[in-house]
Amino acid sequence: MSELVRVVEKRSVPNNALMLHGLPDVGLVGLIATSHIIGQLKMNEIAYVDSDLLPPIVVLHEGLPHAPLRIFGNNDIIASFGESAIPAKAVQPIVKKLVEWGQSKKARLMISMGGIPVQERQDIESVKVYAAASIPTLIKTLTDKGIEIMHDGFLVGPYALIMRYCAERNIPAIALLAQSFYNYPDPEAAAAAIKEFSKISGVSIDVSKLIEGGEEIRLKARDTMKRTTEELNRMKKTQEYDLPLYV
Amino acid sequence: MSEAKRRRRSVFDVMTEYMEGLEALSEELGEIALFEGPSWDMKSCCIEPLCNVSVTDEEVIITADLPYTDPDKITVEPVARDLLEIKAEIKRKVSFHEFGITHRQGEFQFFRCVNRIPVAVDLKKMKTKFKRGILEIRLPRKKGIKAHAR
Repeated sequence: MSELVRVVEKRSVPNNALMLHGLPDVGLVGLIATSHIIGQLKMNEIAYVDSDLLPPIVVLHEGLPHAPLRIFGNNDIIASFGESAIPAKAVQPIVKKLVEWGQSKKARLMISMGGIPVQERQDIESVKVYAAASIPTLIKTLTDKGIEIMHDGFLVGPYALIMRYCAERNIPAIALLAQSFYNYPDPEAAAAAIKEFSKISGVSIDVSKLIEGGEEIRLKARDTMKRTTEELNRMKKTQEYDLPLYV
Repeated sequence: MSEAKRRRRSVFDVMTEYMEGLEALSEELGEIALFEGPSWDMKSCCIEPLCNVSVTDEEVIITADLPYTDPDKITVEPVARDLLEIKAEIKRKVSFHEFGITHRQGEFQFFRCVNRIPVAVDLKKMKTKFKRGILEIRLPRKKGIKAHAR
């Protein structure tokens, strides 16, 4: 029987790289942030994800077809990047495969950038970024770098699964979650997440274009955001607003 | 299925299976029944903005993401007792080419959407705010009869 999800490598993939995940989620924060990093670091497509669980979509770029879920890379950083919403039913096997594949490439650290939905987001002038980690030593590293820890609460969706699978496999992983809109694209939150990514990775990324071109990104990301919101609703993403029960 | 296996299934298993089947069918029918059109209309040069409607104890809050718009070029108008139309002029014309689309021709100059108001509200007391490209409309709910617990 063929594999449910497979990663097809097109070029050589570096070992021991830093692995980023930019999958569609609230405010498209991770998607916008990762797309910006891929562009700034001029990363090339090195692999793509193939699965019958994904909708029958190809993304055309300059007339040529590409998979909607691809992996970009340079010598030191690899990044998974999803251009269209991942169906709720496919999230688990796809994320599991991405984590397993990253582990097989000996990724030294996995970083997911995403949003944490807040009400009255438009009234927030300075976006806060919270972090969670898969292993205790990383919590100390994050605290030492002045990044606020998300101590308690729920995570739902692709990033929740990345953290879970990485914790199970003892893979160092960090989730950087910026305060964001739930169902509106949020380039400002993406810029805030990138700033924290730079603190951790030591890779400097200019976010000025992201801020200046924010309105254009919001205009262009409407349809992707709409599809993503539909899938997030199926995943019961609003559970992130819930208060956890600790007795 | 063997006789022994069939006997082991409880009535609850049968009910659960039936309900799951029904749920899957209703989801499938819903997806087929609702024809989904594009988020733009070439004839009126409009694109549909992302919107959100929420209901609190006191009010209905409608928001819309309106990048590239000025607050004085936005109109909010009731088109029926429970329908609110939002229309906004975009600062500049936006063409398909800007989205990298070369197989369609046309330009957009407006955002337009109509939102259903899910509960009775006082439209005369509507308040609007525009910040960071987000339009926020607050509609106080009409007060009805309340029962008190004794």
